[in-house]
Amino acid sequence: MSTWIFLGIVVAIGLWLIAVYNGLVGGRNQAQTAWSQIDVQLKRRHDLIPNLVQVVKDAMGYEQETLTKVIQARNNAVAASGNAAQSGPAEAALSEATHGLLALMENYPQLKANDNVMQLQEELTTTENKIAFARQFYNDSVNAYNTRRQSFPAVLAAASLGFGPMDLFNMPESEREVPKVALR
Amino acid sequence: MSATTDFVAAQNQNRRNTMVLLAVLTLLAGSIGYLVGALLETESSGTLPAVSQVGIAAAGLMAAASIGWSAISLAVGDRMVLSMAGAKAIEKQDAPQLYNVVEEISIAAGVPMPRVMVLETDALNAFATGNKVGSGTIAVTRGLLNALSRDELQGVVAHEMAHLRNLDTRYMVVVGVTVGLIALVCDMALRTLNWGRMRSDDRKGSSGGGILIIVLLVVAILAPLAAKAVQMAVSRQREYLADATSVQFTRNPNGLISALGKLAEKAAPFPGVSRATQHLFIVNPIHQFTSKTPALLATHPDIEDRIARLRNLGG
Repeated sequence: MSTWIFLGIVVAIGLWLIAVYNGLVGGRNQAQTAWSQIDVQLKRRHDLIPNLVQVVKDAMGYEQETLTKVIQARNNAVAASGNAAQSGPAEAALSEATHGLLALMENYPQLKANDNVMQLQEELTTTENKIAFARQFYNDSVNAYNTRRQSFPAVLAAASLGFGPMDLFNMPESEREVPKVALR
Repeated sequence: MSATTDFVAAQNQNRRNTMVLLAVLTLLAGSIGYLVGALLETESSGTLPAVSQVGIAAAGLMAAASIGWSAISLAVGDRMVLSMAGAKAIEKQDAPQLYNVVEEISIAAGVPMPRVMVLETDALNAFATGNKVGSGTIAVTRGLLNALSRDELQGVVAHEMAHLRNLDTRYMVVVGVTVGLIALVCDMALRTLNWGRMRSDDRKGSSGGGILIIVLLVVAILAPLAAKAVQMAVSRQREYLADATSVQFTRNPNGLISALGKLAEKAAPFPGVSRATQHLFIVNPIHQFTSKTPALLATHPDIEDRIARLRNLGG
């Protein structure tokens, strides 16, 4: 009789461990998928910026300095990609330069008549939004995962099953705002 | 509604309210099944049993019928909605901004990209349909595309994405089927009742049956109305929930607030929408509800109230 009770307890603990393990794996995978989505969108931004600069540079002849700064920031970001420590600040600088360019373009009404420009501007705007949303979703996923592994009773098993805490992505002040580009 | 809430608290509250309403609906359906069964047993045996076996069986039958009917409705429901006048699927080049916004919000929500459709009408409206995460459709009207700014469109699309992620189509199909079943059984019971009363008048033997008949008569008349009211209350809770979830996705209540303002101003009746699908839209496509409309039978909360709650989320 007592053997059966003992066996029952062992099976119950085993099932509980499986549930905790699967839950944590699911949460960690979701966060990792979210992180790779950020990379996809950053890459897309690197590809778009030279095209946009190319089509606006004639109309925006007096803004050579801004354009050069955007290209410079873009090249720095491309060079830094793959290096986690350098990539963060480089991408933040690129965001700032891009937002500056998008805002400045508002001063050139003739650009709005150019379909090509409008199309690239929309693409850049959506890419900026996707970067912000992908980071937001990454942080939400990491928060959910961390909460799960710190909650009782999962906290008893999480560390010994090899689930460490994950780090949040810290957004620089300038990037907290979703870019507001008045486009209709 | 005085204290400022965050979207997480708002979502939890809406989910709790939905669960309470679903419990009420289940209870209602179960009691009607039991009453009908009990009456049948009384009719055949001539005495009122303390616990009616037939009643319990009938309650179980109600549950089984509800599940089976829901499954069938879920399987064919999407097609019914999408065959509605003028809805056609678009690719990115047809409406790049709309497509981009849907893509952005699907990243924010962490769900696969849904199908995007445009309804060729000047009315301002949008809807979402889909039974499981990953196979949804989001449709907006041409009028909406023309009238809204990018931020406003983002708020509306986020509201629709919230319906998809919260599985509201599935919720409303199951609730609708249960309500339909209650109406059907009550209708049948009322017909049976006339016949039953005539028979018991002949016999004069079953006074217990007489009480039961009166109870069933009252229930059969009131239950369909109560079920309908519960269904509408669930629908309104899911709207509030979708508004709160929309803010979770965009972190910007202002887009949806200003979009709802425009929708309230320019809401026009929408051709080709049946009552069965009206709860899917961001604002009711058939009636324009104001704060003066009797709220009990409205599919959507009044727009001013929705805006007030969104402001409360810290816009």
